[in-house]
Amino acid sequence: MTDFKVSNLGEAAEAVQQAMAEKARLEVRAAGTKRHLGRASSYDHVLDVSALSGIVDYQPEELVLTLRAGTPMNLVEAALADARQMLAFEPPSMTRILGEAQPGVRGTIGGVIAANLSGPRRLTAGAARDYLLGFEAVSGRGELFKSGGKVMKNVTGYDLSKLMCGSFGTLGVMDEITLKTLPAPETSRSLVIAADDIAGAASAIAGIFASPHEPGASAILPSAIAAEEGVDSGSPFTIIIRLEGIDASVADRLGHLQEMTGGEALAEAASVKLWQRIRDVQPLAEKPLDIWKVSCAPADAARVVGALDSRLQVRMIIDWAGGLVWLAGSSPHVGPALRKAVAGLDSGFAMLVRDVGATREKIAPFEPLAGGMFALHKRVKASFDPLGVLNFERMHEGV
Amino acid sequence: MLMPEPDQGVIDRRDEICRTLRQMVPTDCVIDSRESMRAYDADGLSAYRQLPLAVVLPETVEQISAVMKWCHQNGVKVVPRGAGTSLSGGALPLADAVLLGLGKFNRILDVDYQNRCVVAQPGVTNLAITKAVEADGFYYAPDPSSQIACSVGGNVAENSGGVHCLKYGLTTNNLLGIELVTIEGEILRLGGKHLDAGDYDLLGVMTGSEGLLGVVSEVTLRILQKPATARALLVGFEDTGDAGTAVGDIIAAGIIPAGMEMMDGLAIQAAEDFANAGYPREAAALLIIELDGPEVEVNALIERVEAIVRKAGASSVRVSQSEEERNLFWAGRKSAFPAVGRISPDYLCMDGTIPRRRLPDMMRRMASLSQQYGLRVANVFHAGDGNLHPLILFDANQPGELERAEEFGADILRSCVEMGGVLTGEHGVGVEKRDLMTIQFTEDDLKQQQRLKCAFDPGHLLNPGKMFPQLHRCAELGRLHVHRGKLPHPDLPRF
Repeated sequence: MTDFKVSNLGEAAEAVQQAMAEKARLEVRAAGTKRHLGRASSYDHVLDVSALSGIVDYQPEELVLTLRAGTPMNLVEAALADARQMLAFEPPSMTRILGEAQPGVRGTIGGVIAANLSGPRRLTAGAARDYLLGFEAVSGRGELFKSGGKVMKNVTGYDLSKLMCGSFGTLGVMDEITLKTLPAPETSRSLVIAADDIAGAASAIAGIFASPHEPGASAILPSAIAAEEGVDSGSPFTIIIRLEGIDASVADRLGHLQEMTGGEALAEAASVKLWQRIRDVQPLAEKPLDIWKVSCAPADAARVVGALDSRLQVRMIIDWAGGLVWLAGSSPHVGPALRKAVAGLDSGFAMLVRDVGATREKIAPFEPLAGGMFALHKRVKASFDPLGVLNFERMHEGV
Repeated sequence: MLMPEPDQGVIDRRDEICRTLRQMVPTDCVIDSRESMRAYDADGLSAYRQLPLAVVLPETVEQISAVMKWCHQNGVKVVPRGAGTSLSGGALPLADAVLLGLGKFNRILDVDYQNRCVVAQPGVTNLAITKAVEADGFYYAPDPSSQIACSVGGNVAENSGGVHCLKYGLTTNNLLGIELVTIEGEILRLGGKHLDAGDYDLLGVMTGSEGLLGVVSEVTLRILQKPATARALLVGFEDTGDAGTAVGDIIAAGIIPAGMEMMDGLAIQAAEDFANAGYPREAAALLIIELDGPEVEVNALIERVEAIVRKAGASSVRVSQSEEERNLFWAGRKSAFPAVGRISPDYLCMDGTIPRRRLPDMMRRMASLSQQYGLRVANVFHAGDGNLHPLILFDANQPGELERAEEFGADILRSCVEMGGVLTGEHGVGVEKRDLMTIQFTEDDLKQQQRLKCAFDPGHLLNPGKMFPQLHRCAELGRLHVHRGKLPHPDLPRF
């Protein structure tokens, strides 16, 4: 096994070309914090892109940040904080549940983009894929290419940025990327509301979203976890609604929503801490359990959870107003039950995010593709990487 | 404009093709008389006209699938068309292609407030989505200026924007799912009412693919609760640079207006003559800044913005005190195109994006190009996101003026790319900017895009002649150059 440590795309192209010549497979890696996401695949060499690091150009008043994909997230967030801006999709840290590759290293922006990771604000502000404006990369053909641009509004050519987000390094090795930034909110507060069950919670949340009080994030916690987090409403479930914006606006909306729901306000510091823990799935992290995430229509959360036998004893948190269900359990029946539940919905997917045993060798971590979708995925992969040099089969068998 | 050489063999089979199409769709859904096809010979880029081989207007997704499958098997090209409002020639017919119109797909299928989305057929107009949900306090955010006519399927194909996309995003940011018919006639679903999935973001790639990758047969759109209040400021400047500074200062202060539009002197005067909106005629630049949200927030931000624009050197500031007044501020901007149409027999509407800080350079460049070509230019500008719409005034009856206007336009777009921007912000490449793609992209960039095209449409049957200046055969694009034998670069560090 060779470790190709590259410092620019030219060198990355050479490494890819060499792998092509050898018919070898490369694992594209920077900080390595997300190596355990996806299928357990084996690779011949490592393409280490951690040296592709640093901020290239940041123009806060243009809302545009150009940086190299290997830039550590803590550097990115420090630069944004200096300008009182943010990545609105609220990138989570996966190290709480996946463990740290090196002490204190939170991963890189390239990893966040490659895995299309978004936090609680995804519900109202969009995902990582909505903020990648453009990139430069090397394809699995060993060729440099770019797509998108460094401006906010652009429809020139195919939007390959969307494809790079969430492709787990299987289509290209990114260097320079450009992201849209947004001003950070002045204030962030939360409201804690009681709910009897998940369906009732989702419906109450729908009512709040039909109001003009602009909720920004919305989670549902079962009482045990609500109690651990210090926000127990005393009911079987607790709804948390986050409001962000300028001080006067947040205070005003919080007042209206309290009147409307009878909920209780949470102090700013407690609110910030709670949402950071929800973002990083921290309430499910400590116990050694498999962790699944299910993405579904918000109103379908109750059906997803209801499909699990209560004897499976899962721990869960629900984000995105019901659209994202995190479940932790030790039983091998959890995964099949979730897959079956999702198959019964109009749309959705279930992904194994963490396994403590060898669960991912028994069940596909990503929702398996079938028929025309599988064929199309293979052709798309081949159009970027015909020999399967880059992170082969990281997501799906044969892709 | 050079289009791909029509396939005479296909044109010769026209009668047979129409007969076969009539077996797949109701007889009156195939239009093949020259007079009736005239209505489909152009889109919003009306300088280019071409009669299609035939027009087919399917009524069900199964019919779309059957038509696509047959065309694929028989090597017949297909040009998809929504409402035909594209400004870049995306729906321009080809002499040897079936024009596949989605006009009969005009039903809203599901309004789902629990999941805050609307499922609609692709021929439904953009505005009809908002109309369907506004009584319940919701709306659909992307609002291209053609929203009364343009279809949501076309919005997906073009990734349409509008004046509010600085805050609310383009179509791609408000689209949850589509049903897609591939050129092979396969029906696939991408996305749905859920948010993110664990497969390639083919939904994102389809959005803005200009009808080259597949036909959209259903859309699922995110709807938002209508903001409680909206108020606007109308701000005049004696200097365009000051207006640009004000825009940057507003965003630097952490404020994202719902819309932030700029007009230059000629556009201000034309719009004021047309709409009597009370615009300051003497101003060199005008900003319309709209803030929306909870009333407390809007009122507080209006004060902050007013202070910022005054500090930046505004020569006049008006704040809307009523809905009527806010609509009046917009009336001039929204009539800018017809207003310019009144002061010139013809105009070309361009659409590039620049980094906002380059605006003063761009204005100077345009003034000097205007002198060079001897043609006037009026500017309207989505200032918040750097998206320019220069309107080049010309007279098509004067020999050579259209060509001069087009050359002027191409120079503007070249300047956009030179200044770090892009060829098109929201109108699409189509045929209009096809031959300029090499300014922004290298050959390898374009080849990679075309390889993706091959993954969806290996025979180049879907909307050929659009977006790419040169068509490469998929087999040629797929060839690999593998370096065998010795390590090609011994200086590469290895551990």
